[in-house]
Amino acid sequence: MATVATSPSTTRRRSRRRLKMTRRFESAGPLTYLFLLGVAILSIFPLYWSVVVASHDNSAISAYPPVTTPGSQLFHNIGRVFNSGEVNISFWTALFNSAIVAGVIAFSVVLFSTLAGFAFAKLRFRGNKLLMLVVIGTLIVPVQLGVIPLFVEMKHLGWINHLHAVIAPSLVSAFGVFLMRQYIVSSVPNELIDASRVDGCHTFRVFWHVVLPAVRPAAAVLGLLTFMNAWNDFFWPLIVLTPGNPTVQVAVSTLQSGYVEDYSLVFAGTFVSILPLIAIFLVLGKQIIGGIMKGAVKG
Amino acid sequence: MARMVGDEVLEQAPALRRRRAARRRLHRLDALLSPYLYVGSFFVVFCAFGLFPLGYTAWMSLTDRNLLDPTTHFVGLDNYTALLHDSYFWNAVENTLAIWAISTIPQLLLALGLAHLLNTKLRARTFFRMSVLLPQVTSVVAVALIFTQLFSRDYGLFNYVLGGVGIGPVDWEAGRVSSWIAISTMVTWRWTGYNALLYLAAMQAIPDDLYESAAIDGAGRWKQFWHITVPMIRPTIIFTVIISTIGGLQLFTEPYLFQPLKNGALGGSARQYQTVAMYLYEKAFGSSQFKFGYAAAIAWCLFLIIVLISIVNYLLVRRIRSAES
Amino acid sequence: MKRIHGGRRWQVLAVIGAITAAVAVGLVATTASAKSRDDVTLRVSLFGDFGYHDLYKQYEAAHPGVTIKEEIQEYGPHHTQLAQRIATGAGAADVEAIEVGFIPQFTAQAQNFADLRKYGADGMKSRWLPWKYQQAVGKGGAVVGLGTDVGSLAICYRKDLFAKAGLPTNRVQVSKLWPTWQAYINAGKRYQAKAPKGTFFFDTGSNVYNAMIGQLNPAYYNAEGEVIVATNPSVKAAYNLTMSGIAAGESAGLPAFSTQWNTGYKKGVFATVTCPAWMMGYIQGQAPKTKGKWDIAATPGTGGNWGGSFLAVPKQSSHQDEAADLVKFLTSPASEAYVFKQTGNLPSQPALLKSAPVQSFKNPFFSNAPVGQIFANSALRLKPQILGPHQGDIQNASTAAIDRVQQHKQSPAKSWAQFLKDVKNVAG
Repeated sequence: MATVATSPSTTRRRSRRRLKMTRRFESAGPLTYLFLLGVAILSIFPLYWSVVVASHDNSAISAYPPVTTPGSQLFHNIGRVFNSGEVNISFWTALFNSAIVAGVIAFSVVLFSTLAGFAFAKLRFRGNKLLMLVVIGTLIVPVQLGVIPLFVEMKHLGWINHLHAVIAPSLVSAFGVFLMRQYIVSSVPNELIDASRVDGCHTFRVFWHVVLPAVRPAAAVLGLLTFMNAWNDFFWPLIVLTPGNPTVQVAVSTLQSGYVEDYSLVFAGTFVSILPLIAIFLVLGKQIIGGIMKGAVKG
Repeated sequence: MARMVGDEVLEQAPALRRRRAARRRLHRLDALLSPYLYVGSFFVVFCAFGLFPLGYTAWMSLTDRNLLDPTTHFVGLDNYTALLHDSYFWNAVENTLAIWAISTIPQLLLALGLAHLLNTKLRARTFFRMSVLLPQVTSVVAVALIFTQLFSRDYGLFNYVLGGVGIGPVDWEAGRVSSWIAISTMVTWRWTGYNALLYLAAMQAIPDDLYESAAIDGAGRWKQFWHITVPMIRPTIIFTVIISTIGGLQLFTEPYLFQPLKNGALGGSARQYQTVAMYLYEKAFGSSQFKFGYAAAIAWCLFLIIVLISIVNYLLVRRIRSAES
Repeated sequence: MKRIHGGRRWQVLAVIGAITAAVAVGLVATTASAKSRDDVTLRVSLFGDFGYHDLYKQYEAAHPGVTIKEEIQEYGPHHTQLAQRIATGAGAADVEAIEVGFIPQFTAQAQNFADLRKYGADGMKSRWLPWKYQQAVGKGGAVVGLGTDVGSLAICYRKDLFAKAGLPTNRVQVSKLWPTWQAYINAGKRYQAKAPKGTFFFDTGSNVYNAMIGQLNPAYYNAEGEVIVATNPSVKAAYNLTMSGIAAGESAGLPAFSTQWNTGYKKGVFATVTCPAWMMGYIQGQAPKTKGKWDIAATPGTGGNWGGSFLAVPKQSSHQDEAADLVKFLTSPASEAYVFKQTGNLPSQPALLKSAPVQSFKNPFFSNAPVGQIFANSALRLKPQILGPHQGDIQNASTAAIDRVQQHKQSPAKSWAQFLKDVKNVAG
């Protein structure tokens, strides 16, 4: 299957190729635009609506007909989310915790995935195929399967209520290994590795000086995707953390359980919780999309 | 053993040769061990937090382990036998499969169509691509909270719109099929764009000449789509089907947060949308029962179901090409 | 060359070591900053707001070095997580609130909690209503928790809706409408006949049913600790009576504590609601604009209790002494009197119930009803019920059973059969 390589030497080839491809495509007709616009609206609307609710007072959630235009209290409500007298959790702690959790996990996943991906892609060793199969196999193991013993394990490690308990199980990712392997296979030329080998490079030097620079784009995307997933994780943090030391998802889900259920507050919190990701996405969206698509082709 | 080690043998002075030999030995050692070291980092962590719990769960499923009871007895396959006769378990299996089907099939078809449309010469391409991926960036918790309100019986937007055309009000949460639809909508909304981008990527990698020769043979656009595009992106389709099978059958957060009350994880008064993962949670944590042994058996059955359905899906999707070629 | 290679190997190890160290540091950095030994942070885990904020400040001022952190969750998840953490022996807070429906489950494992007798609980025994104190006593007389509030029952009703439906609005006359639960259901039929459009007599069948169950003794458990749900005719009678109310169209069918139910308060969808003392604060919080439209009448039948909590100290806490001291402070007469004024949560101590501030308290939100008198007298007359370890689960199952009928998913008979099956599952 043809792949789009990204190493600098092939840039020219790529652009020529792109030109050829676009010639094939027909221009989109008005119907296509209409349909895509509809999909775009459907994608954006629920988020828009949650901001609308967050910008009114509590009565908006039960207004009939439902509210669809923004009110004036968005910043007031966001302020309330961070006001410890108003809500039962510290949202700052939650954001900080999530940033640490997602950051550490993203860093570690990228590192270990690149190492393992390099080994699977470019090194020959006994059991290569089998071990790769095992890695892919681990993808189908449901999270819930290990929850109970994992909880007991965390207890023995004394990590209950600590962020360690959330971080540790996610330090590696089978998906990451798979992705990096695919990328390295296609975008790190064997000649380059062979050449450095002939120069007497140690395997790790090859990794450090040849592979790492070449995979930087893929590593960045994997890091971002992992960061997002870790930021959005709910099931496991819910079990091992308490609202006293929450991640942002646990915090949002506990916003509801205050004495008075206040949906403008809940949605203001929801908005704050997805804001960092949306911001990252708006800035780096093009790269993320490119990364997802690149990872896909080699499946 | 590494295939890149250049083994050109040259005439050399003995001392140099010795040194060369030593260096080669070291290289060999490096080539032999490095791969395991690099791969090992993954497996060490995976064993500690993935494999060990897995094995432990398997053992636990053969016992009557209960958190409240300090003594544990080996009970053999009793938990599994009980599970086979547990109507709530089968109810959960049915719900899970139904929600999975209602969410996955339209989702992938929609993604396919969407990818096809995106695979044209398009103005504002980045805008469209980003907007379809936006739901994926949104957390499951946010999606569940937002859609639960949109599906609210009395003041929800969906019922308002439906009311405009004379339908309803639908009590989405209370009905069996309606609750499945509501939960499936959340899943579909979040994942369609992501899958569309995967398909789009695969479509862009299809060589032009295939289309050209098909066009020469007089195949129309529609025929080209079904006879070239779909078979050519088959590996990606298989990948997405497997991934959504794995994700869909483990569904927990959406239905859990969809419950009006979080007293346990019953999934509605008649367990109309209790998924297997929720039933597992109910048995292990969600009530005062703490039947860990039983919950572990549920976990393993869930695993088996996922493997089984993944295989069935794989075989089904593989037929795409054999039917076409 | 060899040496160079050796050097490279060290280099590799050093890099790997550095990375491992970086990850480790990252992990360690996530731990809460270590405090010096004298400083104690006490975690207090509650469900809903207990109105303790000012009391914490008082306590912290009087005990330098003590910091109190409050964690609040929903009722269901709070007890689930507590049970899970007690059972696994890690992660519980220093002070945990336990609702009466769950207290038997935890007195059954008294070994996992600090015995508050060690901190002088038996000396203060006479402060509490005897049954309230007794509910938190486990095997061997260990005192697992101290009582906070009790939830003696009344009925809150909307005067405006009653007037529109042609029912009396004066609280004395309203109380006379329903000496028994049968009379209450009958009053509902009268209401429904002339009800304002879209309104119902009560919020949900399960609240009516649970109020009836609260007046039974025995209800779900007999004195021997056996589950008697299936064989106790009074339970079935309460269920049937609830069903007749639902069949007569009296129920708004809003699951208790759901978002729809909360909205129901704001919109005035139901005319009456079973009202334990703590519900007053709930209604005021949910629907502040309905002030003055509510009033409070006596409950059908006699007395009855719904809710009320205890504070306990898990054995796994590393600050048991300090935590127990805090529990004593929070359940002291002064604190309970303060909380009553703040939230309306009724004290569980007879001396307080009889005291002038409670007896003379009138709630302006509820048309100046003498709520202190109504609830205190009801509490003082209350007869305790035998509880069992799966009380909370059985109640959840009954709620689901009634919802199934309200949502037209099952016939009353079928739903009852499934309820019995669920009970067997839970308790068997």
